[in-house]
Amino acid sequence: MRSKRFEALDARPVSQDGYVKEWPEMGLIAMNSPADPTPSIKIENGVVVELDGKKREEFDMIDTFIADYGIRLENAVEVNATPSLELARKMVDFRVPRSEVVKLTTAMTPAKMVEVVGTMNVLEMMMAVTKMRSRLFPANQAHVTNVRDNPVQIAADAAEGSLRGFAEEETTVGIVRYAPFNAIANMVGSQVGRPGILTQCSVEEATELALGMRGFTAYAETVSVYGTEQVFMDGDDTPWSKAFLASCYASRGLKMRFTSGTGSEVQMGYAEGKSMLYLEARCLYFTKGAGSQGIQNGSVSCIGVPAAVPGGIRAVLAENLIAVSLDLECASSNDQTFTHSDLRRVARSLMQFVPGTDFICSGYSATPNYDNMFAGSNWDADDYDDWLVIQRDLKIDGGLVPVTEDEVVRVRNKAARAIQAIFRELGLTEITDEEVEAATYARGSEDMPVRNVVEDLKAAEDLMNRGLTGVDIVHALVRGGFEDVAESVYNMLTQRVAGDYLHTSAILDEDFHVISSVNYPNTYAGPLTGYQISDEKWAQLSNIRQAISPESI
Amino acid sequence: MDEKTLRSIIEQVVSEFTGAPAPATSTPAAAATAVAPAAAPAAPLGDGEELVVTEAGPAERGTNPREVVIALAPAFGGVINKTIIDLPHADVVREVCAGIEEEGLSYRFIRIFRTADVGFIAHDAAEYSGSGVGIGIQSRGTTVIHQKDLPPLSNLELFSQAPLIDLETFRAIGKNAARYAKGESPDPVPVRNDQMARPKYQAIAALFHLKEAGLCDLSKKPQALRVEYR
Amino acid sequence: MDSEELIRQIMSEVMANLNQDNVTFAKKDTAAPAAAPSPSPARADRVDKSQYPLGEKAPEKIKAANGRPLTDFSFEKLKNGELKAEDFRIAPETLELQAQVAESDGRDSLARNMRRAAELIAVPDDELLEVYDALRPYRSTKAELYAIADKLEKDYGCTINAAFIREGADVYEKRGRLKDSE
Repeated sequence: MRSKRFEALDARPVSQDGYVKEWPEMGLIAMNSPADPTPSIKIENGVVVELDGKKREEFDMIDTFIADYGIRLENAVEVNATPSLELARKMVDFRVPRSEVVKLTTAMTPAKMVEVVGTMNVLEMMMAVTKMRSRLFPANQAHVTNVRDNPVQIAADAAEGSLRGFAEEETTVGIVRYAPFNAIANMVGSQVGRPGILTQCSVEEATELALGMRGFTAYAETVSVYGTEQVFMDGDDTPWSKAFLASCYASRGLKMRFTSGTGSEVQMGYAEGKSMLYLEARCLYFTKGAGSQGIQNGSVSCIGVPAAVPGGIRAVLAENLIAVSLDLECASSNDQTFTHSDLRRVARSLMQFVPGTDFICSGYSATPNYDNMFAGSNWDADDYDDWLVIQRDLKIDGGLVPVTEDEVVRVRNKAARAIQAIFRELGLTEITDEEVEAATYARGSEDMPVRNVVEDLKAAEDLMNRGLTGVDIVHALVRGGFEDVAESVYNMLTQRVAGDYLHTSAILDEDFHVISSVNYPNTYAGPLTGYQISDEKWAQLSNIRQAISPESI
Repeated sequence: MDEKTLRSIIEQVVSEFTGAPAPATSTPAAAATAVAPAAAPAAPLGDGEELVVTEAGPAERGTNPREVVIALAPAFGGVINKTIIDLPHADVVREVCAGIEEEGLSYRFIRIFRTADVGFIAHDAAEYSGSGVGIGIQSRGTTVIHQKDLPPLSNLELFSQAPLIDLETFRAIGKNAARYAKGESPDPVPVRNDQMARPKYQAIAALFHLKEAGLCDLSKKPQALRVEYR
Repeated sequence: MDSEELIRQIMSEVMANLNQDNVTFAKKDTAAPAAAPSPSPARADRVDKSQYPLGEKAPEKIKAANGRPLTDFSFEKLKNGELKAEDFRIAPETLELQAQVAESDGRDSLARNMRRAAELIAVPDDELLEVYDALRPYRSTKAELYAIADKLEKDYGCTINAAFIREGADVYEKRGRLKDSE
């Protein structure tokens, strides 16, 4: 006979999740695998001859790259000889300035860094993230996708997302050949909601760069790096090709960050018995050495793996902490679904929500999750009010602001009409008034008329073959009567000439002013320092639509 | 997947990685002695038939423009014989082939050893295919339709969420691959999405992949395969 | 070294605040290669983070790759067809200035990336994508990678990138990541 208590517990969402026991030999362990190396560094004539227990002749490609580019050698021997606990205390203690800590962290070896953060509990890690985040104030990023790759819906969802406060919006595809349409719809829609939003389209590396070169995206993020050599190869790159790709983006005036995360190596089958966090530390020192301004990390699409083992969510916070401590912009994941349990998904997000990161979610789904083509986000459009209420409850700025239904309907409609005009002016496939109407009021793709996919794909290919660029989009918008949107797209293109937004943690405000760690560095040094929510902002965050005013009764 | 199945997979993998010989990595010569007699082709579908996959020497690059090459990941139809949602590999293969046949094209099987990544496996399939179009299938069910002139990690169609791929989808994949091979532009197989697949399956998918990757052999070229039912 | 850098940085900020921006305390940087292929900016034109964002605070220093000054950009000019797609390309000199900003804020590796990037501006889009592809694993023989390095150096003056690619090729060889020469 079964216990009724246990029957009820078995039916709870948390019991639907997959959990596994640690398996250190295969790297199925969050932190402290027995096979993780002991920290060490030896330098002869300015060359690293031993790194974390390996001699130079045993180095793999990642070791070589980190040894030659990823560690500040001037004070490396001294820092690595310092007790890890002492270094950890400096990271947590707000009386030690961020700039001083960066000099220590950038001189550590990956194994040393893992040992240092391994001494902290999650509260201490959150304290450290508060201080070590690079930009003065946090921001947020949206995913804008749908299961049918419907461009009208993408434009409308992007417009709503930027109105709601996202500083960056990322799209991707169900069908790769839709990429140009998705990228354009995301870019144009985002500018309708709020000028100055940075947009990207996540696809295969070379294709993503090609879209950026055309002026259909402003930045890239899906530039994945891995912590073991074999997985790096399975990702179809090497440290040298990835570092070169980073330079390719900058050479076209495009912002770029790498992506990595705990669990990817074990997920892809080659973890060499190392813990997920140690391998992620290697990714981050490589990222630093390659000269990327930032990283998207926090397990990202592999979150189901660390989340299935003990201490996994702590390790995910630890990897964000390592990223910000290396003075990298950190888009801290909180994107992909990893649990059926609402309690678990909030607990996981508080780790970044409370201290604030450069992008708390690197993909808050701007659609209901059934349309999220990153296989679901930890937060989706149906949670918009939950997020706003949590901000209001805790008085934290999580990057979103309350909006009214009227405003949302207005910007969705305008974005849908703008993409309709572009398609018409550029001789692409037709977007009907019925589709515009549907996108204006849609919750998701189930509310949208079905498009002719074959015709769309032909038109998308044709658009690429004709060599159309962002400039053609501007002209199409002008001809279609969307002069203000056209001017915003023009201003986005102009950013790539000045290159100011290539710096760490850069975003743009609605007047296209660049805000980055260079001109807005984090100055946190204890209570009432660093970013403080202004009275004006607090009034805005407090004013949720559900709140009843006392006068009304 | 229940805990018992999970446990048995883990135990199996652990035993492999602690030195027990992996059953599917037999040399072509050894495998040749184990060729099973061809089963009656008209056997009813899904009637508990087992797939018998035998290596038949190094694969050759095809010249027939009316073929689609299907590349299997290292463990498919060998150490692992069901997808992550327990679809027998025998049924998977049968449906993909039926889809190709419906379009009047022929198919050929190879196995890839250098990688367990489905993007590369499918790209290898495309490169070996006379039509330039190939299909790659991982043991857990993840499938890609690829074309040889695309970058390896791009694709014509990608079915990344293995728990959502049913037999009907496998047939549609075969059919679409054949249509690409004929130079047509078919409607892509409708993409499915289930945000709860990851919470439930990702860690298990990792176990599948660890097992598959453990059978990789970087130096071994793609092998031609004989695929039979028994 | 760190405290020396800090002093320089503070001095240059102080001087910049006094509006004496033609005085520089930047370290004479012998290791950092000039932004090839264009001549490196005169020392007096060096910038640091106090002038950032350059597009707002020092627009007169910025021009596009084809020489068009940023101050000459306007939406009207795009509308009437004076501005074309090819005008929206960053110049090597601009990336060199941004690299100086990054260095002045303690981000040496970001600055290195920007200097590699400055060289690559001259490389056409298609060729750049080809070089990236050739650098991916198992795509090229060592000789092919060396030939690519030579070509980038000869045709576009990409000396930093050429050295970087040759270094990569040597590591690929050691780690067995080159194309089979069958």
